[in-house]
Amino acid sequence: MDRAYRYTIRIVAALVAVLMLLPIGYMLVMSLTPEGFKTYSGGSFHLSLSNYKKVLDSAPIFGWMGNSLIVATCTTLLILLLSSMAAFAFSRVRFPGSKALFLIFLSGMMIPGEATLIPLYLMMRDMHMLGSLQSLILPALAGPMGIFILKQFFDGLPKELEEAARMDGAGFFRIWRTIFLPLSRPALGALAIFSFIGSWNDFLWPLISISDKAFMTITLGLPTFSSSYANSYALPMTANALATIPVLLVFLIFQKQIIKGIAFTGGKEM
Amino acid sequence: MRRTVDTRGWAAGILMVLPYTICFVLFSLIPILYGFRVSFYDWSLLGDKVFVGLGNYVQLFSDEEFRSNLLNTIVFTVISVPVIVVLGLLLAVLVNSIRKGQAVFRASVFLPYILSISVISSIWVIFLQPYSGLLNNLLKGIGIISKDIFWFANPQLAWLAIIMATAWWTVGFVFILYLAGLQDIPAAYYEAGQIEGASRWQSFWHITLPSLSKVTVLVIVLQTIASFKIFGQSKLITGGGPAGATKTVVFSIYENGFSTFQMGYASAISFVLMAVILVVSILQNVVLRRLDR
Repeated sequence: MDRAYRYTIRIVAALVAVLMLLPIGYMLVMSLTPEGFKTYSGGSFHLSLSNYKKVLDSAPIFGWMGNSLIVATCTTLLILLLSSMAAFAFSRVRFPGSKALFLIFLSGMMIPGEATLIPLYLMMRDMHMLGSLQSLILPALAGPMGIFILKQFFDGLPKELEEAARMDGAGFFRIWRTIFLPLSRPALGALAIFSFIGSWNDFLWPLISISDKAFMTITLGLPTFSSSYANSYALPMTANALATIPVLLVFLIFQKQIIKGIAFTGGKEM
Repeated sequence: MRRTVDTRGWAAGILMVLPYTICFVLFSLIPILYGFRVSFYDWSLLGDKVFVGLGNYVQLFSDEEFRSNLLNTIVFTVISVPVIVVLGLLLAVLVNSIRKGQAVFRASVFLPYILSISVISSIWVIFLQPYSGLLNNLLKGIGIISKDIFWFANPQLAWLAIIMATAWWTVGFVFILYLAGLQDIPAAYYEAGQIEGASRWQSFWHITLPSLSKVTVLVIVLQTIASFKIFGQSKLITGGGPAGATKTVVFSIYENGFSTFQMGYASAISFVLMAVILVVSILQNVVLRRLDR
């Protein structure tokens, strides 16, 4: 009975895994077959990279990925810097108004980005930043998630850590940089993963801000490219594959850290 | 004891929160206040700004399109949240009971979550095509259907397509949170259950589920908020169609703001969206506080 149960579990799990991976496998196979894989034709079936060449010749896929990389990297690094400094101050430094300020920031978690689209658009237009990569980075820095997560982590670190350093006359900035940052690598890593994925996948704000093809991120560039191929699916699918393969590789290498990071940050939103 | 005011600490503290505070004020606080002001105006992009008081909010009640989009969003939320949460829980329980190769199953369930909305939408649009799409051909091959399903021609099927794609895309997130929750349940609970002769079903119902109640509240809230903000799927998978049947609240903001450039009206819709999300967040806090007691 127990053995049968275990086998059933394994078979169901294998089925689930196949179903989850099916659309991704479909994408890869389709991108590798010249006319797009047609299940009904049953004709000859051979693999080629010709679709990849066609897509790369007709769309700046790597340029778009480069833009995404710039935006996501800058956003992530700045979030780590700003949040870790502020979280350290909230956790370890006494200054007037710190509690009230923290609560105000915390309430910012309830503000959805979708609600500030219109004013952000008007402001960016007045500042002549609409359409630039900066316009994609700056609004993301106002998210308070990072402060919240890092403050919780810092609060858990023992006070003795910085007391010795304070005796030696180290200032708060040095304690933050030389003691707290190195010790909070897991939390910083989790926050970095969360921020990077969020920024890389952002769609609505880039759709509104960016209109010049040269400044598009990959998330915005793909639909723009695909919409010009109404009835041919091989090339759009190949563009999808091109955008996915680097993400796939990063995921396979850092799978454990990514999953842990998402569980850590996601679970902290309680 | 003499008390000294540590002004050096003050300065350091204030300097350290200053950079974030500037970003918060510029890109969160000012936009919210500005947007609130705009929502009381008939605010066109080219300069005409007429104060209309609550006019935009009143207009929402009689706007057929907005009402339909709001209803669509609510129906989507009410259906997709339980589906995704239950699916995530079942998958977590399933994967948690596997010893060998757990990492592989975990990765394959989680993988779609890290793909972008553009990629997943495009994959699903092609996957669901009549005649050439894989799903139709698979279903015909097994003999479940005899004629191709036109997923995007019928409102219910179009929503079903969006729900399937969304579930496939985001179930990994719920799954990962549940899996972490499952691994936090002490094995002693189950051993005690076994001694008392509890069946698998009983121990799931009386040990597993109650131990996961906090995770459940969290994922329901996060999924509800995310579902209410749905836009990318309906823009990219169905284009809002057929005949506007899959348009959502954020779609209303997008179209009123950036197709017809009625900034005031779009702002009013934004505040309705924010009010809903605020209520959900407050409910979450109330429920979690009850659970803590």
